[in-house]
Amino acid sequence: MAATATPEVVPGVIQDTENKPKSGLEPGYLVICWNDPVNYMHYVTHVFQVVFGWQRKKAEFHMLQVHEQGKSVLTRESMEKAEHYVHQLQKYSLHATMERDE
Amino acid sequence: MKLTRRPGGRLVVELGRREGNLLLLVLKQYPCLPPAHQPLSKSGLLPNQQDTQQLLDEALAEQRAECKKQLRALLADPQRFKKKTDGYRLSLSPGDAEWLLQVLNDIRVGSWVILGSPEGRVEGLNVENAKNYWAMEMAGAFQAELVAALDDEWDGP
Repeated sequence: MAATATPEVVPGVIQDTENKPKSGLEPGYLVICWNDPVNYMHYVTHVFQVVFGWQRKKAEFHMLQVHEQGKSVLTRESMEKAEHYVHQLQKYSLHATMERDE
Repeated sequence: MKLTRRPGGRLVVELGRREGNLLLLVLKQYPCLPPAHQPLSKSGLLPNQQDTQQLLDEALAEQRAECKKQLRALLADPQRFKKKTDGYRLSLSPGDAEWLLQVLNDIRVGSWVILGSPEGRVEGLNVENAKNYWAMEMAGAFQAELVAALDDEWDGP
């Protein structure tokens, strides 16, 4: 097993990763679909296939995750792309939001 | 209700007279979801969230207005919505089927919201809210048929 390299810190540069703001281009936003008792399972699967271009198997996996665990993280994207996907999912009246990946 | 696929992906829906009349009654409820109903984020930790939320609400309102226009055009077009002696024939392109699904689910979810977003069975049905329960169930029934017909051929790109 290779030894862990010691991280190099350039003198004069303060590394602040905790409070670094997420840029709009950084894939730091999660698109989440939440469970609700009104949307049919086949409908949710169909919408995931159309919006993300997924195969049925992958769409069903995420649909079941929503159903059984209350939510599913569908994708991790830049802010703009995450907004786009939330809009697409909400067009179909699915309960979808975007959240910062902390 | 009988759905068949035609070459080129067109979906032909044959409806009996009563089914067709029911579908028209359901579609009259559109749009049903209250405006600005969905939050963009639950955590509220997005930069410029208020502005972005407003943009999303506007985009969804525009999309609903467009769907309403498309619905009106579909029902007025005898090539796509034909009244026959024994019922109706609806001819949908794949694009038509997608926006019609959005319309039907808006009615379904919107009716559910009006009923108080119940987690389980709808309690306390009365003269006032029975029409919402009916619209929720009927929109769901038409939607399920449409999804089943579309997914017969669709298995991703």
